[in-house]
Amino acid sequence: MDGLIRQFRVAYAATNGEQLAETLSPDVQTHSAKLRAIWGRGDLRSTTADLNFLFHQDQARLSIRLSKEETSGWYAIYTAYWKAIGEILAAEGLRHDAQSSWAKVYDAWKDLTLLTVRGYTNHEFENWTIPCLYVTGRYLRLYAMRADAERALNNDNTAVDELQDDFDPQAEENKCLEDCARHLNRIFQICASDRAPLEESRKWGVYYAVNLLFKTYFKLNSESLSKNVLRVISAGRSDIPPIDKFPKSQQTTFKYYEGVLAFLEENYVEAEKHLEMAWLMCHKNAQRNLELILTYLIPCRLLTTHTLPSAQLLGPFPRLQKLFMPLAHAIKKSDLRAFDIALRDGEDEFIKRRVYLTLERGRDIVLRNLLRKVFIAGGFEPAKDGAAPVRRTRIPITEFTAAVQISSGEAIDSDEVECLMANMIYKNLMKGYIAHERGTVVLSKSGAFPGTKQDRRRYTYVIVISRAINITTSLSGSLAEVLVPNDYKKYDGWCMGGISHG
Amino acid sequence: MVAPTEKPSDKSTTSEAKPEPTQQKSTAALEEDDEFEDFPVEDWPAEETESAAQAASGDGTTQHLWEESWDDDDTSDDFSAQLREELKKVEASKRR
Repeated sequence: MDGLIRQFRVAYAATNGEQLAETLSPDVQTHSAKLRAIWGRGDLRSTTADLNFLFHQDQARLSIRLSKEETSGWYAIYTAYWKAIGEILAAEGLRHDAQSSWAKVYDAWKDLTLLTVRGYTNHEFENWTIPCLYVTGRYLRLYAMRADAERALNNDNTAVDELQDDFDPQAEENKCLEDCARHLNRIFQICASDRAPLEESRKWGVYYAVNLLFKTYFKLNSESLSKNVLRVISAGRSDIPPIDKFPKSQQTTFKYYEGVLAFLEENYVEAEKHLEMAWLMCHKNAQRNLELILTYLIPCRLLTTHTLPSAQLLGPFPRLQKLFMPLAHAIKKSDLRAFDIALRDGEDEFIKRRVYLTLERGRDIVLRNLLRKVFIAGGFEPAKDGAAPVRRTRIPITEFTAAVQISSGEAIDSDEVECLMANMIYKNLMKGYIAHERGTVVLSKSGAFPGTKQDRRRYTYVIVISRAINITTSLSGSLAEVLVPNDYKKYDGWCMGGISHG
Repeated sequence: MVAPTEKPSDKSTTSEAKPEPTQQKSTAALEEDDEFEDFPVEDWPAEETESAAQAASGDGTTQHLWEESWDDDDTSDDFSAQLREELKKVEASKRR
């Protein structure tokens, strides 16, 4: 105890919140010896006597100025900490005299958490000490999850025979974590509601608390509660300092969750913005976190900008390679069959990561790429004299039907293809209209497939030229020869015919 | 990642069934979930961000990490030929 309180005094004298929080760390892996020393012989009476001496009589206590209120607050905290350490050592199997459970650890740590919160409401704790709230909150969540897992295990072993009527397995399963969420929310509230001037405000603890809450709510599958929190802090009524004033660890974590929340709401533009920010700011060595960010950023990008991750990007992430490479390959090759197979093969994992529905929409991109291939294979119209050749924009549905059949490896009805194309046009993945009676699709002359830079460049060029030069028809142009299929004349006839488009 | 069908609780079942020393493993399995991890440090300079790392590997941007979703090299004569071939089949089936 001596050592611990001495450490407390040093941190307090230096007003170093991190150091102060360190005195409350229950990490057995790194501090095993220290925790055992604190626990001592496990005698409550002598510990109380020690703490009494250290906080009320020891001359050295005067090295720091604690108010009477603060003294009683910290006194209670270290007593609770000591009790919790006893349970933790026992639960970890490091005590020979006792066994414990994570449920007991959770309860003991909860007492400590409540006392720490009370320090701010009743004992005049200053804002620089808020890392103490972080450490208690962080471990409270950890112990809650362990307690829940432990209970699930015991239930399995004792095989529940009697089935109760109103038994909610979900709530039962996460009993401790649900309880924990309430306490974390309390921590969030006392940070967010602080009215002190910003430099001494607990508002600086808001993002840490929010991140803990996000993690907890995600585990509990209650994203709607996360949205509520987001609403509170984004409303601006709480005067929380801008996020870029917070440490990068907090910014990255927050942006990740904000991004995933938008992602789950299918707001991909918003999601991409947040996830990209998280990705760029993330520590370069935090492989696991980078991987998680990319798990959502990649499907986002696919839908917003139709871009795919390069081999270089996925290089360091074998798991992502396995997940996304087959899909990316299929999309690039506009291979519907390979895409369906890749989606099916990864189904379990995609569903687990909640990206399945998003990726499924990638099929549209495959289709779009396929239709574009037909368009490009269609070659060029007979060029006007001296003008740059213009791509053939009136394409029989049969050509698209054939392409879909090649790509999917299955026979398909041309009505169905027409329907697919109508969808493409509706989704703005393709520009043009379907001339149903003629069994033809008339594509826009300016960027039939939005987003393809190459087309755009070529078309702007073509349009400018063809407006400037007056028209006579003849067949020429080196570009045309490259891509025009031999039987283009078959279509040529009716191209000269009457359909107009503007 | 382990087989997707294996739930975290299964993992802890197997490891916690053994005596005490393995208990740490079971908790590790719990945390191994797909949860965003705590960073070992609170803050870091701009040079240690992913953005800086990527910029260093590319031409100062992150453009090289994303590519377009279509492959223009592939739109070769092959596809036109294949398409014509398939087209014949489609037409043939229509006439029948």
